[in-house]
Amino acid sequence: MEAQVEHSAGEIKRLQRCINDLVSLLALPAVWSGGDPSQVLHTLLDALMRMLHLDLISVQLKNPVGESPVEIVKIGELRGPIPPAHDICEALSHSLGGNSRKWPPLLRKFMGGGDVSIVPLPLGVQGELGVIVAAAQRADFPQQTEALLLSVAANQACIGLQEARLRSQQKRIADELDKRVAQRTAELAAANAELQLQVGLLQRLPVSAWTLNPDGTPDFVNQVWLEYSGQTLDFIRSHPEAWMIAVHPEDREAASMAFWEGVRSGQGFAFETRSLRVRDRTYRWHLNQAVPLRDAGGKVLKFVGTTTDIDDQKRAQEELRASENDLRQILDGIPGLVAAITPGGVPDVMNRPFLEFFGKTAEELRSWSTNDIIHPDDLPRVIDAFTSSIATGTPFDLEIRYHRADGVYRRFEVRIHPARDADGRITRWYGLLVDIEDRKLAEEALNKARSELAHMSRVTSLGAMTASIAHEVNQPLSGIITNASTCLRMLATDPPQVEGARETARRTIRDGNRMSEVITRLRGLFSKKEPATESVNLNEAVLEVIALSIVDLQKNHVSLRPELADNLPLVTGDRVQLQQVILNLLRNGSDAMSAVEDRPRLLLIRTERDEGDRVRLTVQDAGVGFDPEATDRLFDAFYTTKSEGMGIGLSVSRSIIERHHGRLWAKLNDGPGAAFSFSIPRSSEGLARADGIRNPQPPAVPGPNAA
Amino acid sequence: MESGHTGCAPALPLVSIVDDDESVRESLPDLLKQLGFAARAFSSAEEYFASDCVDQTRCLLLDVAMPGTTGPDLQRELIRRRQATPIIFITADKDIIVRQRLIEQGAVECLFKPFSDTALLKAVNSALNPK
Repeated sequence: MEAQVEHSAGEIKRLQRCINDLVSLLALPAVWSGGDPSQVLHTLLDALMRMLHLDLISVQLKNPVGESPVEIVKIGELRGPIPPAHDICEALSHSLGGNSRKWPPLLRKFMGGGDVSIVPLPLGVQGELGVIVAAAQRADFPQQTEALLLSVAANQACIGLQEARLRSQQKRIADELDKRVAQRTAELAAANAELQLQVGLLQRLPVSAWTLNPDGTPDFVNQVWLEYSGQTLDFIRSHPEAWMIAVHPEDREAASMAFWEGVRSGQGFAFETRSLRVRDRTYRWHLNQAVPLRDAGGKVLKFVGTTTDIDDQKRAQEELRASENDLRQILDGIPGLVAAITPGGVPDVMNRPFLEFFGKTAEELRSWSTNDIIHPDDLPRVIDAFTSSIATGTPFDLEIRYHRADGVYRRFEVRIHPARDADGRITRWYGLLVDIEDRKLAEEALNKARSELAHMSRVTSLGAMTASIAHEVNQPLSGIITNASTCLRMLATDPPQVEGARETARRTIRDGNRMSEVITRLRGLFSKKEPATESVNLNEAVLEVIALSIVDLQKNHVSLRPELADNLPLVTGDRVQLQQVILNLLRNGSDAMSAVEDRPRLLLIRTERDEGDRVRLTVQDAGVGFDPEATDRLFDAFYTTKSEGMGIGLSVSRSIIERHHGRLWAKLNDGPGAAFSFSIPRSSEGLARADGIRNPQPPAVPGPNAA
Repeated sequence: MESGHTGCAPALPLVSIVDDDESVRESLPDLLKQLGFAARAFSSAEEYFASDCVDQTRCLLLDVAMPGTTGPDLQRELIRRRQATPIIFITADKDIIVRQRLIEQGAVECLFKPFSDTALLKAVNSALNPK
């Protein structure tokens, strides 16, 4: 019975102890609260070790999410060498296998020098959490109570582990959340700062900056615009077309069209307007530009734009345009073809007359050397001279035939001159082309008239008479010379041929008489003819003769000085014959000076009133003069001091003047030379003007009246 | 007037004159004789060719402007006949261009009336003695 009582007392003690331990185990969660899984396990294992006097207890937790497997081994008093914990766990795992369902409740193994009873305790409903292994060398391990405690401990472990896991998960999530919030907050702050900066910039840009919604209504307008327009942000937001108010009424329509077109199409816009500055109520030119801001899909989010004051530039442009226009007008007004040429020789700017003359564009005219505007015969010469000028910088002066738009060639005087900068470098060439075709034609007409008059002098009465005299006189003259020569030779022979001499002398005298008759007859014939009479303006007649002989006089370096009286009375007579006399006197005067080198070859021609209602004309030279003894003979037929002359001029001139009831005479000057004058009666009507001309201009087309 | 009625076989070199001008036909032959030549005068080319003096003529004094056959015509006829008679033209028309042309066409000289006796002598000598 005592053994049974002892047994029962021991049993009771054991049970009491078991219940105490149970209570302790059940109280563990409170201890564990807030701890992490390893803490839980350590506490539990320590408790079990103590409670059950285990030799070994270990736990292996399978890898929970994010954590490494946990292995804890606690060793009690084991005899023999103690293998490392890990090995033990591994050996245990091997022994137990992976599937916790297949684990026996009890294992006996030889470990550490003796047999050991091993109790595996799966954690979790299916052992998914891990395993606790309790081992003791006692043979009776585990007793019932011990087994109970172990299973309760395993449950508690589960509970504790799960709670711990949950807690740490929650903590992790909370941490993550905090981190995210912090990040987001930082981002937002940064974005905000950026925004502040941008807004600050927008406000401070020296242009009006604004944004529009995709429908064109105002979104944001910066301070500059508000100040300029005098509008408020509220006003703008509530009045979608507030900006239009600032625009000049004349520009509104175009601006509106451009604006709405740009908004509707999503392309944005750029147009100029005059916009009102409220501060001083002036309109200034502005450029309004907007560009679209699109999202990733291409949809317009906003329009971003600026309004820039371009008034100064625009006014400057206008002034420039106006001054260019003035310059252009001046250039176009020059009565010549003007071109500006680059230093490289390319015609650059051409005035309007230039373009109109050729009927081509400036571009076409740049290829002047190949586009047929220059006469082909002139082209090689022009190209040579032009390239030479451009290369050497010397001015160019040429007469060139150009092809006018209507196909006619016109002669031009072309001058090209360089313009240089302060350093002497050529900056441009300027070319001036002057149409001289008319002048040339006039010159040619003049020359033609001159030679015609010279020709006519052969067919007027003077010429005709001269020719007929020469011819008629020639025959008896030849006879005289031949017979006289024969006569002399006959007398010179030994003995002299008297009979022959007499005969030839007779012939000579006969021919001499015949010659006199001829001259007398012709003179009589001449004097019988009444001159064509008209009122003659002697000054005009003089001017015409001068015009015709001016070139010859100039060629002989004769300076002609006309002194034509004003209010010279008209004379009655044959204009052409009088002109022949004047021409004759001028020619004689010029010839008289042909050898003069040491003084000017001055030829004076003077008209003046003469006494007794007459008009006098004088031609005075500075030439060699004449022999005063031969004064009378000057006017004789055949008297000549010229080697080629027959001396007809003065004789006939005298005849002409005498038929005009006048007289022609010669006088030696006080200085060198002589003066030939004629004086003829004035007509009863009118007066001639000298036109006050000292240096006469040749008449445009001289036309001596037919005799 | 003397005009040389002897037949055309003169001892002295024969100079023939063809000119429609009577005073020339009157005066020139006498001068030529004084200068040492024989001379015959004809009033036209036809009269000259009709005469028997054509071959004997050592030098021909020929007027340029004549009615009918002119001097140059006569010259051409002589060429046609292969008659190489040297020709001295005499003319009143003092045209040096014409003179030059006549000389180019074969005349020895072309004298302008009035000409001196020395000019005549020089011309005839050069016709008779060509260098």
